[in-house]
Amino acid sequence: MSLLKKYYATYVQSMQNAKSVLGMNRRNLDYVYPSNPRKYFEYANDKVLTKTTLESEGLSIPKSYFIIGYFYELKELESSLKNYSSFVIKPSCGSGGNGIIVISNFKDNVWISVSGKEYTFTDIKKHISDIIFGVFSFGIDDRAIIEERIIQDAYISKLSPHGLADIRMINYQGTNAKAMLRIATKASDGKANLHQGGIGVAIDIQSGHTFSAQIDRENISLHPDTGVKLLDVQIPNWEELLHLCENVSKIIPLSYLGIDIALSDKGPIVLEVNARPGIEIQNISNTGMLEVLTDINLRSSI
Amino acid sequence: MFKQINKSSTLYKITLSILLFTTFFLISYKIYFLNYQFLDLIPSIGYDVEVNIQVSGHEDDISISTYLPSSTDHQSILDERSSSGIFTTQIEIDGLNRILTWKAKAVSGTHIVKYNYFVQAEHIVYTIDENLPIVKNLPPYLQNFLKEEEGIQVNDPLIAQTLFELFGDKQPDTLKALKTIHDYLQNEFQNRNFSGFTDALTALKLKEASCNGKSRLFLALTRKIGLPSRLVGGLILKQGSKKTSHQWAEVYVRGHWIPFDTINNYFGEVPKNYVRLYYGDKVLFKHSTNVNFKYLFNITKKLVPQNNFKEKMYSSPLNAFNMYKVFESIGISQNLLKIILMIPLGALVVVIFRNVIGVETFGTFLPALIATAARETGVWWGLAGFLFIIILSAMVRKFLDYLQLLHSPKMAIMLTVVVISMLLMTVISVQLSLFDLAHISLFPIAILAITAERFAIIHEEQGLMKALRISFFTAIVILAAYAVMSALFMQSLIIAFPELLLFLIVLNLWLGKWVGMRLSEFIRFRKLIFKGDS
Repeated sequence: MSLLKKYYATYVQSMQNAKSVLGMNRRNLDYVYPSNPRKYFEYANDKVLTKTTLESEGLSIPKSYFIIGYFYELKELESSLKNYSSFVIKPSCGSGGNGIIVISNFKDNVWISVSGKEYTFTDIKKHISDIIFGVFSFGIDDRAIIEERIIQDAYISKLSPHGLADIRMINYQGTNAKAMLRIATKASDGKANLHQGGIGVAIDIQSGHTFSAQIDRENISLHPDTGVKLLDVQIPNWEELLHLCENVSKIIPLSYLGIDIALSDKGPIVLEVNARPGIEIQNISNTGMLEVLTDINLRSSI
Repeated sequence: MFKQINKSSTLYKITLSILLFTTFFLISYKIYFLNYQFLDLIPSIGYDVEVNIQVSGHEDDISISTYLPSSTDHQSILDERSSSGIFTTQIEIDGLNRILTWKAKAVSGTHIVKYNYFVQAEHIVYTIDENLPIVKNLPPYLQNFLKEEEGIQVNDPLIAQTLFELFGDKQPDTLKALKTIHDYLQNEFQNRNFSGFTDALTALKLKEASCNGKSRLFLALTRKIGLPSRLVGGLILKQGSKKTSHQWAEVYVRGHWIPFDTINNYFGEVPKNYVRLYYGDKVLFKHSTNVNFKYLFNITKKLVPQNNFKEKMYSSPLNAFNMYKVFESIGISQNLLKIILMIPLGALVVVIFRNVIGVETFGTFLPALIATAARETGVWWGLAGFLFIIILSAMVRKFLDYLQLLHSPKMAIMLTVVVISMLLMTVISVQLSLFDLAHISLFPIAILAITAERFAIIHEEQGLMKALRISFFTAIVILAAYAVMSALFMQSLIIAFPELLLFLIVLNLWLGKWVGMRLSEFIRFRKLIFKGDS
């Protein structure tokens, strides 16, 4: 009988705990749909629009060198591109990191990517044509962005030597609600993507201190490749980062946002904006996010 | 902002109420005023009987005949099919009996002929009034059922003596006579599993017999006492293959032929799993003597709508059978309508799996559509065909990826690959006699092509394991949708009450506002949920 009572108590407690977790159904119905009108989704989905919108308000973004939407523009590109030895090419409407090439060097008329692959101008032209044709965006005609390659903050580079780390901030109604740092690993092939083997590190919003880290849903405290300590680390320029995110949310007409920030040598810089941010961040930080969101909602409705 | 939310929630409540009201109004109207009954919707058991005959001859003319069942108040015979190869078939009517004859000239080698029919029978129990006297002056045609026949020695002194032992000098009433004779045969005689001919006297002397001996003795005793009676031959229906047929007796009482089986103790009743094949003391199979002859009854149990369901639906308004008439008038089959009616239910199953249980599937409604198509192939072949086509097409797409093609032409190639692989599977499965699998061409082609594309994208972006996992869950959801859509009760329910489609909309409206955690999220966030005190 007492065992049954104990099980019942556990059940009640668990249901209580479950109330603080944001599930997919609630995320969509209570947050994404009411906060992010469909017609404004393009502010998140189309990176050219995201960039021009943020740039016009003077927020830091990777500087665009070229935006190419037509084939005739490719003819003029060759001579101008040779002035750049380090840049990133990406589709404006791509997803999941597909179609992105990161160039770090230029030698003998050949560009070299961070992974050591060589590209002649013909190769680059072909890649840009693919982007324009919609190979990386489900058949929709697209534009190719050629932009500045971000040099990562030296301190962050120690934490993420295998690729560019980024900070995912969940911002709701202008308030920063939850944050995590995503770190690339050898296994994740330089991508800071959680389901591809990247590390997620939870950050305390107030202080910018990291407090919990996971890889493949396992708690860790050290980087598995380098052994560098991941917990209780202070993210540099945290105040500036919080402020940047608040400004992004003021400018982009979506009020439930995932904002991806890179920490460059010149400070925090907006990489992209997501209109349907995932809910895995709760596992990374070992806390549900529903209470924070309800609090924000309460405060805003007073 | 808040006004808008209120407005939409008022609209939501109004829509919900209108749909709920309409559904329940129509259902109650049909139950209370049009006499619809839920009991009519529960499926009954039927049996598909295959008479399988193997003959071989050496340049001989061959003739084989057997009895075919007819529909009566106890049994409905439906869906008769014949596959007779080189033989010609002919059906003759002989009184109450139907005789099927296969004939062929100069037959050599071994041949198989088959005849199938579907039996749906009712359990019928007769009650006989007490104190009904045994009628003396019967009309001439009934007199024939009192006469002595070969093996039914009505006039033998032993029969009269047995009756004297049972009743003494007193002439019993009908019920008493039948009850006493039935109990006598049921209790005093041993049942034997002997397939040869036993006449009434032998059975009486040995105090043991198989069905034919017992029923002949039952006939001799009842005829002697003045009750017209006849033999009935038939089958006891049971899943499987059998050679044994069965015989029992029927006694004429007040305009009814009432069944009695003293082997299995059915007094005035005939169970659901008996089918009558012929009346009279007949031999089930006759064949020309010059052949090697083997037969077998292959019996398959099936769930079917109740006998009178269709007629009841046709005669009552406001159900899907009324729509059938419209469909039939433009040449669309009933089956198609039945399938269309079940798709919303399949879609609901998918919604529950995706939003309540929280499994990922390919496409929102692909599982429901595959489950629909699997009605023709059988569910396991359907699944196998589905997985084969998806994985093959995804491999082709992987190859196309190297060629870096544009989206639309690439999808057109994928579609063509799906079509080709379906045609190949059909041809190969016919070669291998897998006729069910051959129906795979009913699969939704375009949706398969899109699914293969999704498979390939997920393979590329999230790995093969993830793509296979989603395929696995898609297969599970197909199974569940199939189970629900092919449940006869569900089909009858929606055919009788098509307004339930509105109720399905209500359920989806409710699920569309449901913000609860998906079951899979309890696993995903188990560390947050099952950690004890927070």
